[in-house]
This record gives sequence, structure tokens and C-alpha cells, in this order.
Amino acid sequence: MKKASIIVLVLLGTAAMLFAQAAKEQAVSEGPVEFSMYYSDNATLPFKDSWLTVQETAKIANATVHYEAIPIADYSTKVSLALNTQTNAPDVILYQTTAGENQSLALNGAIVPISDYSEWTPNFNAMVEKYNMQSDIDKIRLSDGKYYYLPSLTDVPFYDGGIILRQDYLEKKGFAAPKTYDDLYQILKAYKADNPESYPLTILAGPRVLYRMTMPAFGVSLGRNGSGGSKVLSWDYEKLEFFEGAISEEFKAYISFFAKLYKEGLLDPEMADPIDGGIWSRKMATGASMATWAYYDQIGGVTAASEIKGFKLQMYPALEGPAGAHHQQKNRLGSGILFPTKTTKRSDFEQIVRAVDKMFFSEECSKIWCIGVKGVTYTEENGKIKYSDEITNASEGIYKYMQLAYGCGSDVTQMVWVNAREMTKYDENYAAINAAVEAIGDVIQYIPPTPKFDDLQAEEAGMLLTPLADKFEVWCDAFLTGKKSIDKDWDTYVKEMKSIGIEKFCTLYNANL
Amino acid sequence: MGGTASQPILANGKQKMKFKEKGNETLQIKLRSPLQRHLFRYWQLYLMMILPFFYFILFKYIPMFGNILAFRRYRPGLGPFGTEWVGLRYFKLFFKDPAFWRAFRNTLTLSVLNIVFSFPLPIIFAIMLNELRNKHFKKIVQTISYMPRFISTVVVIAILSEILSPSSGLLNRFLVDVMHKTPIYFMNDPQYFRPIYIFSGAWQFTGWTAIIYLASITGINSELYEAAEIDGANRFQQIWNVTLPSILPTIMVMLILEVGRLLSLGFEKVLLMYTPANSEVSDIIDTLVYRTGLANQNYSYATAIGLFSGIIGLILVSSANRISRNLTGDGIY
Amino acid sequence: MIWLVMAFMLIICVVPFVYMIALSLSSAKAIINGKVSFWPVELNLEAYSKIFTYPNFFRAYGNTIFYTVVGTSIALVMTILFAYPLSKSYLKGHGFFTKLVIFSMYFSGGLIPNYLLISSIGLTGTRWAIILPFAISQFNLIILINFFKALPTEIEEAALIDGIGYFGILPRIILPLSTAAIATIGLYYAVFFWNDWFNGLIYLNTPQYPVMLFLRNIVNGTMVVGNASSASADTAMLGISTKSAVIITSTLPIIILYPFLQKYFVKGLTVGSVKG
Repeated sequence: MKKASIIVLVLLGTAAMLFAQAAKEQAVSEGPVEFSMYYSDNATLPFKDSWLTVQETAKIANATVHYEAIPIADYSTKVSLALNTQTNAPDVILYQTTAGENQSLALNGAIVPISDYSEWTPNFNAMVEKYNMQSDIDKIRLSDGKYYYLPSLTDVPFYDGGIILRQDYLEKKGFAAPKTYDDLYQILKAYKADNPESYPLTILAGPRVLYRMTMPAFGVSLGRNGSGGSKVLSWDYEKLEFFEGAISEEFKAYISFFAKLYKEGLLDPEMADPIDGGIWSRKMATGASMATWAYYDQIGGVTAASEIKGFKLQMYPALEGPAGAHHQQKNRLGSGILFPTKTTKRSDFEQIVRAVDKMFFSEECSKIWCIGVKGVTYTEENGKIKYSDEITNASEGIYKYMQLAYGCGSDVTQMVWVNAREMTKYDENYAAINAAVEAIGDVIQYIPPTPKFDDLQAEEAGMLLTPLADKFEVWCDAFLTGKKSIDKDWDTYVKEMKSIGIEKFCTLYNANL
Repeated sequence: MGGTASQPILANGKQKMKFKEKGNETLQIKLRSPLQRHLFRYWQLYLMMILPFFYFILFKYIPMFGNILAFRRYRPGLGPFGTEWVGLRYFKLFFKDPAFWRAFRNTLTLSVLNIVFSFPLPIIFAIMLNELRNKHFKKIVQTISYMPRFISTVVVIAILSEILSPSSGLLNRFLVDVMHKTPIYFMNDPQYFRPIYIFSGAWQFTGWTAIIYLASITGINSELYEAAEIDGANRFQQIWNVTLPSILPTIMVMLILEVGRLLSLGFEKVLLMYTPANSEVSDIIDTLVYRTGLANQNYSYATAIGLFSGIIGLILVSSANRISRNLTGDGIY
Repeated sequence: MIWLVMAFMLIICVVPFVYMIALSLSSAKAIINGKVSFWPVELNLEAYSKIFTYPNFFRAYGNTIFYTVVGTSIALVMTILFAYPLSKSYLKGHGFFTKLVIFSMYFSGGLIPNYLLISSIGLTGTRWAIILPFAISQFNLIILINFFKALPTEIEEAALIDGIGYFGILPRIILPLSTAAIATIGLYYAVFFWNDWFNGLIYLNTPQYPVMLFLRNIVNGTMVVGNASSASADTAMLGISTKSAVIITSTLPIIILYPFLQKYFVKGLTVGSVKG
């Protein structure tokens, strides 16, 4: 009798386990999970529901996704509204970080601390492992030790924009490729001598692009797009702390150099205002300017439009300044995915998280977001990627065409960026430039950490920041254009900045790292 | 409640009593108080107002409670009405801020300049337009004159930048080639900020605003003109003595509204024209609020400033209205 | 003299449009090389095709037309209903209501309270969210009140004696006399609804977006005010050609509307008909 009952019990137990297992699987695979998602829509590559990438990744993740394409210029307004009020909010929001208001929102419970649910993001965790990014992830943890969004991952930040010069002119005059800022100065002077009417150096979209790309070579990063968002503080990469960059000697050296360019008519006076892309193109194409800091994929458009014989633009590796050869700082982590708290109220919250994780971070899907679908957009020959004829023959270039037609390579949806893979979308020239940049070493430094403020400190920081940023902008422009003399007025400037609290601001930042 | 307390009389001086016929009875309904009598007489008018009144309460007045945020600290994610009372903290903050007063000064200056230069233009334009004999020409000019209204601010500024560009702009070309002067960088020069702002505003809105005055002019009784002509008045005198006085109520209403709007200038345009170089004159209250309040998500600060501007605006509108009543006998209320 | 002024007005208003039409029809290359002034160079329709192939362009256009037509109609009804009684200064409560209107011009709730209100009555995500809350513009209301005040009272009094109540007077007498004013504020409302993108952005879902939002994105998307943390925002360079085409496409319909309203600007019934 005893033996029999034991056997029955074991059988029953096994049956129960199998049954439970089956039930669990049943619950999980019950049909596609449905959710809504905000997408930041750029007018140059308008979102299409029919994009191959969109369709395929949703299929693989077994999800029905309602993309809400919101114009990029108003994206932050809409997101802020959704997170602040939690009404009419989507389930998932793309292209976000926990900078600015989001930090306060996260700490006050408006955003899901996704690190708490890391069992549901296996693909993301795997990617972080694969590219050794645990320490980077730690950088986005807030003061409570949690991270609140799934950032995009880049294995090696690449050099997608920089100093661009008229190569044909350099060759004509026998100039070697410039290595330092002084080299650049010589080239600009020569062009001005040959073309007195011109302003050799111009900038796209206003001084902020110039500043963010060139200041690091002088040891600072300031202004509206300065790294770290502090606008007047810079990061000391040796001491690992912030210092008052706006009143530093390094900045003085920087602004002196460019003020000299301005004075000698080498720098376009119009760049104080954000220049319209059309005006910039015109200056470059007609030879009114021959040097600029801009992005690589804009070269093609200008070259095609120019009517100058032998016109050739080339991008050069970052120039060396007093602090070394540095370019705009970039992080290995970029904007990513976050979940408003209201999504946790859904019974299928786990499924949503798992689906999103799969859709963007799995090997298969992240590849689709980058290079599309095998057999449709590319084929692999001998381990090398070969794009379809339609793509390679496109007039916009491979990268742009893939963005427009398939949704590949969009900042908003591509979460995994592998340098080597990205290079396949550009011409060899680009790869060569990036290789040269790699060779120089430490060109692209990391972005300074964001201090971990609670929202009371954030308010205080904000109130200090605005007058400081405004005053800096005015003085920077005044020094640049010569309205204020760097020799005579520098001390007044420093005094003024100190009187509105730049030292207090710096202390606040450093105390909360 | 406002309104006259005296007995309301019908325009024809008679008082109406309502008679109801029920079967063969005539009921004379005795109305008790003057108020009830009034309501009964004008019930149709009151009925008309019910829906719009409800609209105002719902969509305009209920959200006003949000202004409470000016006295409480806003913490993102913890509710839209702030968490703790901080009294006048934010008011004190911007009162002490020299940047705020500079913005205040700039806003006032631009608005006053606007009123002095841009306000009369639509009136003059409407009157001139009315004088045109040729109907076709009149129609064409009218239609074309308000087309600039539709160009979005961004493009207006873009066009301006083109024309005023120191390198390729028409105006500077003219200066350099014809007058042999050095090119002026208009958009960046604080001196030119105000003129550019005013002129571009006038260009965009003159034709558009003139529509209101035109509508007013069409309502003028033509007999008045005939009478004036019989009296020997020439065209100009007719305008002075007939047209202008007839549209004076409209002009005053528009003026009062404009004065009330003294502190609320168009934000987008100034923001686009702002450069560090012209910031001394181009920073206005709305752009300051945008930078300090909204860009830093300090909604309490923004709300406090908004409340302050609202109070000032209300004071301005009441004063303007009172003055207008005294001078011309008409106002908004 | 007047002719000179009018001609000047004409020129300065038309010239930018002519310039933009030329830009929108020229090739990008010609524009970059500075060849375009008032006549299209290297005629091509690329800019327009870019706009018309923008995803969901026509759906958005349809949305805008809906909002404009329905919005203006509702707004006109509401405004007239409020303006007419308020134009009678003998009406008890007249002062109170007028002050109510004016007060609300200076104090608004701000973005978030408004958003919460509209959400709580269930309008967000529906098309009515951008029509109903904007049914009355205080400015237009005051203009109309002022206009009604200026109407001669004799006809009204005569009608009242004849037993026609206010409900009858309004459509039969007042409205025909006020076609100019109503056409004016109708146009103002129409332009408001036609151009509105902000409210569409915050209250609506993507399928309901008005066309102005897309068009603004095209024109504005390259001039991101404030922190342009993304590199792609700077690289986005839609030519001035496309932007010009955007302007033309978005303003043409409303411009075409006006001539049809012209006839309403003819004088209403002359008052002389009331004698005796």
C-alpha cells in the first residue's frame, strides 16, 4: 500500500508541475501585446508605419505597437506634459534621458525605475555585458542608485562631424592637412589674402556648434550645448571635478584665438545668429567660405550643388589645441527608452517590458534597426555586408537612403551602435577619417557626469544657472566680436560672474556628484 | 452684481405686461420685484447667455485655480498644484532680479512703440481703402494686404534675415554698392532691433487689422456723407467729420485692448530675433519666463510672473477704459 | 496720393510671396548658388512633391478643414449668442458679465491646469478638444459687442412692438445688418483654427493632427530653439525651397477664402428703410 501511495503522490506531483508549467506558458504566449509609444519625428526622415524595420521588429517581439509620431521641435513639451500629468500618456516613451526635469520626475515617482525590473530586460543586460558598459550604466543611476531608462549603447563613439575644409584649395596652395589650430589660422589667412571679400570660416547653425566642437581642444566646454548642461562649468578630466570654465584661463585662450580670427576678417560675422542651412550651403558652395565645422553627411549636398571646378570638401581629424586634440565630448550612452509610471498599472506590464526589450535590444532586432532585413536590404558575402543595389545607387547616399526608405539608423529607434557596422554605410573616406581619429587617441572624451540633485536642489541650480548662462553668452559674444577687449575687460567679466554666484554654482555641482 | 439698479424701460418708453391665455381665462401675472420683472421681460436674452456663460466658467475660470501654483512650490511628478505653501517666495525672487526689470522695461518700450507707430496704420489704411473708387483695385489691394498675416513668424524672420544679411542681403548690397558704406549687421545690432520688430509687425498685421475698421466703416449711414457733402465739405473734411467720429468707438475699443496687452508681446518672434548681442533690448517678459521658468521647469516661477502681468494688465485696461469713457463717452464696459 | 500708398502696400505685401513661390519652384542647386530672385530657376516640383508625399499629409489636411469649418461655426454661434445680450447696456448684469469676460483675458490657468481640465472631461484624444475650449475669443467677442452697440435701435424697437421677441430679432434683423462684422470675426476665427498647431499638439493623437503641425515641423524642425542635444537636429537641412512650398500650401486656401467673404462687407440694409 505504501509503495503505491508514494508512486501516486509522485505522479500527481509531476502532473501538477507539468500542468503549472503549461499554464504559465499559456499565459505568456497569449497573443501580441499591444501598447502605445511616443516617437520623436524629424521632418527630414518622417516616420512611416510601413517601414520595414518597424514591421519586422514588431513581428519578432510579438507586439502590436501604436507609434505616435510627434514633431521633434515639440517633443519635450509633449513628453513633459505626459509625465507631469500621467493623463493621456503613452505606455512607452522613446528618446529620453533623466536629465533636467526628468530627474526630478523620476525621483518623485513619475517614471518607472527600470533597474528594478532587470529580470525583464535580458537582452539589454546582455548587450551591456557584451560591450562592457556596466560602469557607463552606473553613471546614469540617480541618487537612489536606480536607473530609469534604457539608454542607447555605442561601443565606440565616432567622429561624425568636425572641421571641414576645401581640399582643392589646400592642394592648390600646397598646404598639408592641418594638425593644429595655428595651422588652420595660416590656411584661413592665405584664403583671405586671395579672396579679400570672403570670410573663410563660417559655421552652420550658429556659434553653439562651433563651441561644442572646438572648445574641448582648449580644455573647456561651455555654452548652450556645452557638455554636462551646466553651460558655464567645465570638467577637469584629471581631477575629476567641475571647475568654473567660463572664467578660466583656458577659456580666455580660446576666446582670444577666435577673437583674433574675427578681427582679421577670417570668421564670418553672420555666425552669431543661427544660420539657415540654405545660407550656409550657399556660402560653402560659392566659395564665400571655405572652412566650417559641420557634419560629414552634409558635404555631399554642398558638393553636388557647387559650380566651382574641382570643388572638393574634406573632413579632417580634430585639430590640436592647448589641451590636446579633442573633439566634442560624447558618451557611450545616448537617449533611450523610459516608461511612465501609469504603465505599471497594466496587468501586462511585464509583457510590455519584455517586448520592448526584445524589440530594441535583442541581437536580431538591433541589427534590423541598423542595417535592415537580410535578403531585402543587404546580403552577406564572405562575412562582409553588401547592400542592395537600390541602396548603393541612391543619390542621397547609403546612410540617408536607408533612413528614408527603411527607417534604419534613426537616433530614436536604433539602440545599439557598433562602430564597425556603422562604417559600412559610409564611403571609405569616412572610415579612413575615423581611423585617423582613433589613431590620435582620446579625441572624444566622455561627457561629464550629471550631479544627482533632488528637486529642491535642482530648482536652486536652475535659478543660479539662468543669469550665469545669459551673462556668459553676452560676454562671450562681446569678446568674440571685439565689442569688449579681452585685455582690458576680462577682470570686470570675472568679477561680474563671481558676483552672480558662479563659485556657489560650481560648489553645488561638485557636492552632488 | 453690476448693471443699472433703476427700472429698465423699453426703448419705446412703454412697459409691457404679459398676458397669458389659458382656455378662456386671461391671467394677469403680477410680477413682484423689479428684478423679477426685469428677468421676465428679458428672459430671451438671458437664455441666450446661458451656454456661453457656462463655457466661460468651465474653460476659462476653472483652470484659473492653477494660478495657486504661484504661491506653492512645484515638484515635478507630485501633482500640478504644487506641494507646499511658500507664500510670496517666487514673487520676491523676480522682484529682486534685475533681469526681470530689464525685461519689463523692454516689454513696455516695445508695446508703447507699437501703439504709437503701428496702431494708427490700420485705421489710416482702412480709411484710404474706403476712398478708392475702383472696386476691382480695392478688392485686390485688400486681399493682398492681409496675406502677410499668414506667413509664420519663423519664415518672416528668415526672410528678414535674408534681406538684411550683411553678406548677401538686398539692403546691404544697396548700402555697399550705391552708397559706399560698410555693411551693417542689422539683425545683431541692438540699435536696429526695435525698428525691425515694429516694422515687421506693421507689415504683417496692418492689412489684417484694417479689416475690423473696414467692417466698421461699412456700417456708417451714407446719409451722413450726403448731408456733409451738401454742407460743402470736401472729401478730407468728410473723413474728419463723418468717418472718424463714426468709427471712434471701434478705435477706442481696439486701443483699450491694445493697452491691456501692453505686457504680453508675441513671444515666438522675439525669441527668434534674440541674439546675445541685442539681449539688452530684446529680452522681454515672455522670453524671460520661457528661459527661467519653463526651460528649468520652474512652473511656480512662471506662474508667479504670469499672475503679476495679469494684474498689471487688468489695471491698465481699467484705467484705459475709464479714461476713454471720460474723453469719448465710450469704453468696453 | 492714395494710389501711391496702395501701390506701395501692394508691392511690399506681394513681393515676399512672389519670392517664395519662385523659391519653391526652383531647384536646390540654383538656390544654393544664389541665382533665384523673383523667377523660378530650373523649374521643378520637388519641394511640393516632398510635401504631398509626407506621410498622412492629406489626412492632416482633412483634419484641418474639419477643425476650421466646425470650429468657426460653433464659435460664431457662441459668440453671437453672448455678444447680442451684452450689447444691451440696460440689461441687468450686463456690467458683471462684461467684466467676467475681460477679467478672463488676463488670467489664465496655464498649460497644465488646462490640460488636466480637458482631460478630466474626457476631451483629450478627441477632435473636440481643440474646438470646444476655443469657442469664444474674448477679443472677437468684444469687437462684436461693440459692433452690435453701434446698430441703430429703431428697427429693434419696432420689431419688439410687433411682438417679435429677441429670438426672432436676432436672426431676422440683427444678423443681416451685421454681415460685415460677422464676416470679420468669422475670418478671424477661421484663421485661428486653421493656424493652430499648439493645441493640436498637446491634446490630440497622431491621426487627428492638423496639417499645420506637420508644416511647422518642416519649417521649424531645423531651428530647434534651446538645447539641441541631438546631432541629427543640426544636420536636418530642409531647403528653403521646401519651406517656401510649405508656406504657399498652408496659406493658399485661406487666402482664397477671403474674396468670397468680400460680398459681406457691403453695407447691410440701410437704416432709412425704418422711417415711419
